[in-house]
Amino acid sequence: MTRRLSAAKGWLLAAIVLSSAWQLHAQNKKTDVAPPAVKVGDTAPDFKLHYFDGHDLKEVSLSEYRGKKNVVLAFYVFAFTGG
Amino acid sequence: MKNFQQNLKRLEATDTQVLGVSMDSPFANKAFADQIGVTFPLLSDWGGDVTRQYGIYFDKYKAARRVNFLIGKDGKVQEEQLDSEAIDPSKIVDACERPKLKD
Repeated sequence: MTRRLSAAKGWLLAAIVLSSAWQLHAQNKKTDVAPPAVKVGDTAPDFKLHYFDGHDLKEVSLSEYRGKKNVVLAFYVFAFTGG
Repeated sequence: MKNFQQNLKRLEATDTQVLGVSMDSPFANKAFADQIGVTFPLLSDWGGDVTRQYGIYFDKYKAARRVNFLIGKDGKVQEEQLDSEAIDPSKIVDACERPKLKD
């Protein structure tokens, strides 16, 4: 009887350890987002995007700065969230 | 974006153009720029094609991650900062003020 009980306890303990290990693994996976496709040293892919200046939609392409200016491309998540 | 605005004069002095990019509409971005006093363009990547091309689309939020790319005059990426690292622009400003990027 007592032996059976301790066996059950052992299984329970094993199950807890396994499930918490799995949870930890799942958590690590979640924060482990793939690195950007564009890396330091790569040529930045050209694009054409628009912004609104208050009157018109203006087109901006990355290639128009080639040979003229450095460009900081600052991607952000959403407007009106943080700075 | 405010952090880049605060450093805009220094960046402009090194021949550097700042462009914000998000997946918001151009009109939302204009209102955002006005609200926080940003004078450089906030580009609209509506639909996220460019965000995906750069490999920084974050499926969980259906939006871009916060990432800064510093691209030299030769079109090559010089610096890259991800997520929480990307809030402080001082690394980018320092890199721009390094002599090799000035010409």
